[in-house]
Amino acid sequence: MTTEIHALAGAYVLDAVDDLERVSFERHLRECDACRTEVDELRETTARLADDTWSVPPPWLRESVMAEIGRTRQVSPASPPSSPSEAAPARRKSFRWQRLTAAAAVVVAAVGAGTTVYAVQDQRVREERAVAQQARAEAERARVILGSPDVVLSRQAVSTGGRVTVATSRLQNAGVVLLDAGAAPAGRVYQLWAIRPGSAPASAGVLNEGQQTDVVVVEGLPGATDVGLTLEPPRGSRTPTMPLVADVKLA
Amino acid sequence: MAERGTNRRPLSAVPDPPSAPDGSELLRAVARGDEKAFGRLYDLVAPRVYGLIRRVLRDPAQAEEVTQEALVEVWRTAARFDPARGSATAWIFTIAHRRAVDRVRSEQAATERTIRVGVASVDTPYDAVADEVSGRLERQQVRRCLDGLTELQRQAVTLAYYQGHSYPQVAELLGTPLPTVKTRMRDGLIRLRDCMGTGVSA
Repeated sequence: MTTEIHALAGAYVLDAVDDLERVSFERHLRECDACRTEVDELRETTARLADDTWSVPPPWLRESVMAEIGRTRQVSPASPPSSPSEAAPARRKSFRWQRLTAAAAVVVAAVGAGTTVYAVQDQRVREERAVAQQARAEAERARVILGSPDVVLSRQAVSTGGRVTVATSRLQNAGVVLLDAGAAPAGRVYQLWAIRPGSAPASAGVLNEGQQTDVVVVEGLPGATDVGLTLEPPRGSRTPTMPLVADVKLA
Repeated sequence: MAERGTNRRPLSAVPDPPSAPDGSELLRAVARGDEKAFGRLYDLVAPRVYGLIRRVLRDPAQAEEVTQEALVEVWRTAARFDPARGSATAWIFTIAHRRAVDRVRSEQAATERTIRVGVASVDTPYDAVADEVSGRLERQQVRRCLDGLTELQRQAVTLAYYQGHSYPQVAELLGTPLPTVKTRMRDGLIRLRDCMGTGVSA
């Protein structure tokens, strides 16, 4: 092994090399077991640096990624490059454009498969896109509310673990409920309620089974006195089942 | 954490609670085309993948786009993951970081290498929640280990990793000769490895 190329191990793992250097270093790696071990270990190390960058992506991104993998073919295990950096070059396609043409791509994919398949897949893509678009609109609305100059935050612990954070804005006449709770007991789901004086508690959202985090926009929330959280049977209830596992008093 | 040299075993990037799904197992299921397993893997890694990419790109909208590209690449190439060479999370973050850096470089080329420094990153509202679940201990350990580096090692590692600079750019920013920067990147990472106990050797 030449010392000069070996000195590149750190820069290589940090993706701080150019394409030529990367190729020559990877050639070197194939012949040098010790270097491969070092690179693998330093990769574990840089992965820990990512621990420090935690940031929850907007909820619609999950729908969007799931929709995209549903139409992405996987490589077979047989086809080598084992190093992730040797994977196929990046597709620089416009994200939005990609979304808009998703349905068209399915048409192309289904040409040989008959119209029924096409119709079903087209429907699926449309539904996925509708869900993603709605989630995105909600995320955008949440951003506006949270960015409002008069936003007030209230926090409350959940008796099953975790926390509910409620942000309200009178200017926007709306609030955002950020739930990050512990696991619900088996067979129970979380349901959020807006509690207003002189009227029955109104459901502000039912979580799915196993779901512990959510971001919910509630219009008209500044009129409410409390945001409550209860455990309910799957798909939720019309009236809250007591006791409240969290009761956030709004200022 | 284990002392250096004792009990060096592969660690996932965050020690998951016992009930949490294991990244390697999920990734193996993903390689077999299991979309449900991919959904669980998404929940496990997406906040760190997105956080890392956003840290590098500093633009939430672009970060969303590149996060999607990176995660779809994870799906596409899952069969290439080799557990003998490290954890699933390290493999995924390698893909994510590379994607982010590729984007930074192509932008830099387009804008004649305008080095964007000091643009304040705006935290998304979801960070209010994220803070609660982020594993403060792990963050503290990363920071403590970074503090254990020399100033030059720390700058060389963080300018490359968190800002996506190439080592010649880092050398220029720090006014330090190229070979020194290369060396500091490597010995800085080695010191971090020993501090975090992230050796792979069984």
